[in-house]
Amino acid sequence: MKIKKYLTLTRAGIIESLNFRLAILIMIAGNLLYLIVVYFLWKSIFASSETGVVNGMTFTDTLIYLVLATALFNFMEMYTVWDMGRNIQSGKIVLDLLKPMEYRSYLFWSYSGSFVTNFFFTVLPTFMVVIIVTHGAIPFGINLLFFAVSVILGVMINYSIDFIVGTICLYTESIWGINIMKQVIVLLLSGATVPIVFFPEPLKTIVYYLPFQSIYNAPLTLLLSRNPSYETVLIIIGTQLIWCIIITAFGKIFWKKSLRQITVNGG
Amino acid sequence: MSNIINIKNVTKEFKVLNRREGLKGSIKDLFSRDYKIVRAVDNISMDIEQGEVIGYLGPNGAGKSTTIKMMTGVLEPTSGEILVGGNIPYKNRTKNAQDIGVVFGQRSQLWWALPLIESFNILKDIYQIGDNEYHNMLEMYQSLVDIESLLHKPVRQMSLGQRTLSDILAAFLHDPKIVFLDEPTIGLDVSMKAKIRDLIYALNKEKNTTVILTTHDMGDVDALCRRIVIIDKGKMLYDNDIEHLRGFFGSYRTLKIRVDGKLSKCADIVRKELANLSVSSDDEWISILVDEEKTTVMDVLNQLRNTFNIRDMQLEEISTEDVIKKIYEEGVK
Amino acid sequence: MKKKGLGFYLKIYCKILAQDLKSKMSYRADFIISTIGMIFTNIAGFVSFWILFHNFSSINGWGYYEILFLYGFSLVSLTPVQCFFDNNWSLRAYVYSGDFIKYCFRPINLFFYYQSEIFDIKGLGQLAFGLGTIIYSWIKLGLGFSPLMLLKIIVFLITASLIMIALQNAAAATCFWINNSFYVLDLVTRFKDYAKYPVTIFSPVFRFIFTFIMPIAFIAYYPSLVILRPDAVPLLSWLSPLFGCLFFWLSYKFWMYGAMKYNGTGS
Repeated sequence: MKIKKYLTLTRAGIIESLNFRLAILIMIAGNLLYLIVVYFLWKSIFASSETGVVNGMTFTDTLIYLVLATALFNFMEMYTVWDMGRNIQSGKIVLDLLKPMEYRSYLFWSYSGSFVTNFFFTVLPTFMVVIIVTHGAIPFGINLLFFAVSVILGVMINYSIDFIVGTICLYTESIWGINIMKQVIVLLLSGATVPIVFFPEPLKTIVYYLPFQSIYNAPLTLLLSRNPSYETVLIIIGTQLIWCIIITAFGKIFWKKSLRQITVNGG
Repeated sequence: MSNIINIKNVTKEFKVLNRREGLKGSIKDLFSRDYKIVRAVDNISMDIEQGEVIGYLGPNGAGKSTTIKMMTGVLEPTSGEILVGGNIPYKNRTKNAQDIGVVFGQRSQLWWALPLIESFNILKDIYQIGDNEYHNMLEMYQSLVDIESLLHKPVRQMSLGQRTLSDILAAFLHDPKIVFLDEPTIGLDVSMKAKIRDLIYALNKEKNTTVILTTHDMGDVDALCRRIVIIDKGKMLYDNDIEHLRGFFGSYRTLKIRVDGKLSKCADIVRKELANLSVSSDDEWISILVDEEKTTVMDVLNQLRNTFNIRDMQLEEISTEDVIKKIYEEGVK
Repeated sequence: MKKKGLGFYLKIYCKILAQDLKSKMSYRADFIISTIGMIFTNIAGFVSFWILFHNFSSINGWGYYEILFLYGFSLVSLTPVQCFFDNNWSLRAYVYSGDFIKYCFRPINLFFYYQSEIFDIKGLGQLAFGLGTIIYSWIKLGLGFSPLMLLKIIVFLITASLIMIALQNAAAATCFWINNSFYVLDLVTRFKDYAKYPVTIFSPVFRFIFTFIMPIAFIAYYPSLVILRPDAVPLLSWLSPLFGCLFFWLSYKFWMYGAMKYNGTGS
């Protein structure tokens, strides 16, 4: 395994994103502002409910859930669909296909640098602010490990979905339309805008059978539960794993088939 | 003759960031930055007459486009004076824009999705071109190139050559006093290059438009320009006729011969015989650089004929390209 | 040279618009997919809104239909920015590649010339959706109808639009200084989603910020009060048309200043 050639891409990505000093500041400031908005909004929403616990979630739980969902969203968002779509339209994809690396991996590792910077500049600060604001409402223990594993699986599922949607761009010129549809569906059905426990039945059950909740909802549920039974952990991570395998495999086959068709038709 | 452009002691400076190298450097750059002042254009002066075609040459990064940006009013000079058609371009950008046309070789200024004729129609409104002038112009275009096949084609479906052609036509549409052409033939095939050059030549003759041409293709210069201006590192190196340029290095010609016998041995003998000339040889030819002010090519040939049996010969003029290359490399003595 | 007044610019805009629409129709697939994408976005927005109210009956003393009214109001007021100023999204790419300079050689207003290039027809779907929502909640709230109210809502919709346009202009113009200004534009876009909630949910400090510094409260809240709470309209609501013009003018100046400064630093 020549891990070095992949890590070179990571390093280049870090250098590239560090060049944008002001952008980083704005990213941090923007996230803080966003935190504030979410805080006040849900505070007033909970203030109008009588009990303080809705669908088993307190205000603090909801806050942590939503804020970290957004942080995770920013962490995972790589604009894969945009880049693939643009490269396909401009024909630059041909150059990328010539690289001595599978396109799928090449793209992923090119983005991996921004994972590192995003982690230090958004996820970590957000995490710390949340801990301070909620006075340590996040339990510390084995759940952090589950969370990390679950996030990695989430990243892989998210990337695979993006890659599949990006592949669709080989067939249509409408990058914007495809991308916005994907984004909207993923954001809503993954629980990034409203926690999934708030969904009414039967929507809730349907959503649990879809792969999207494995991206944000799964890791956050693991993080927030104090003493999860090993059975629950196993089910959540197992579901993620199965989805990860299915979607990755599908993505790979779809890409290969599409590419063959395109090369035959001559783009 | 009246000057359409006056440039007097113009200098332009930029502040640029010194980036450090590597991952460590990038992290350092995050906290402290190091700027330096770069003089992109350094005390340049020139006057340009109405109707001239000027080749504005220089290696990459010499300051060509900075000068052009200042003439088009996009950039303000750090010091010095520029007058274009009596206007100060930076202060009257929109007024100046009415008098000029600009083409950037690889950046089409036309509406990407629209057929060419629709782009022209919009330009007609933007530049407030009268109906008569507009139709006369289109008729003239028709007589110069086969424009009919292009008019109803969206720009994005055009080949690079067609696009450049369209961009040039669009730049001349409002009959500007000056047209700036930035590498108009870049990336084009030989026949398209010739077509573009013919078009520029004809438009200049027809409308007496001043053309300022930057290019790296000396073919463009030979075909179009009588006067050339060369700058490098922001400084003006040369501003004069193109004929004058060749004489700059004496009237050199290269004589190439092929002889019977072993080439390297013969070359040595030639070297001995013509000790005052520079002789070189490759696998096929022996090349002799002859300065025609001192001795003629015929004399050299006669002299060699006594010693060798010359099988074949070639005579090469020193090209504009060679001269320019020499200037870029050595500067002007 | 003839004088270039409003009529001159209007004529050019209409001409470009007509041509642009014609050429857009020739990409039918893209047009259809983008429209579906837009509808998806609106439906998803509505669904998350509905899920929220499924759990909580009111927010900060504002009932379901009142918030729905705010929601519709914000959708309509976001239409002009979507339709007429969508080219702001491409600004960064033009500046980054140096292509921006091609806009600087025409004898007309640079800002106008740049924005006139794109008309985004997708915004019209949003307009229809928003109008439907306003009318529906209007009826449910039993607000009644008078020509004066119609005039009021039109004036205040325009006001709100101006604010949103101003915010986007300013955000887009940051690319003249910052390399990766995408985050700024993205941030502002994300914040407009929060425009549909009453500003009273925030603490005084943030109420101030969202009123005067990042004026999202003017996008729906202040203008809607004129219709929804006619008995207690704060002065700020009546002043909002003034603020709309002011913010728009400021953002225009900022944009132009940035464009000139950018050209000054070269590319």
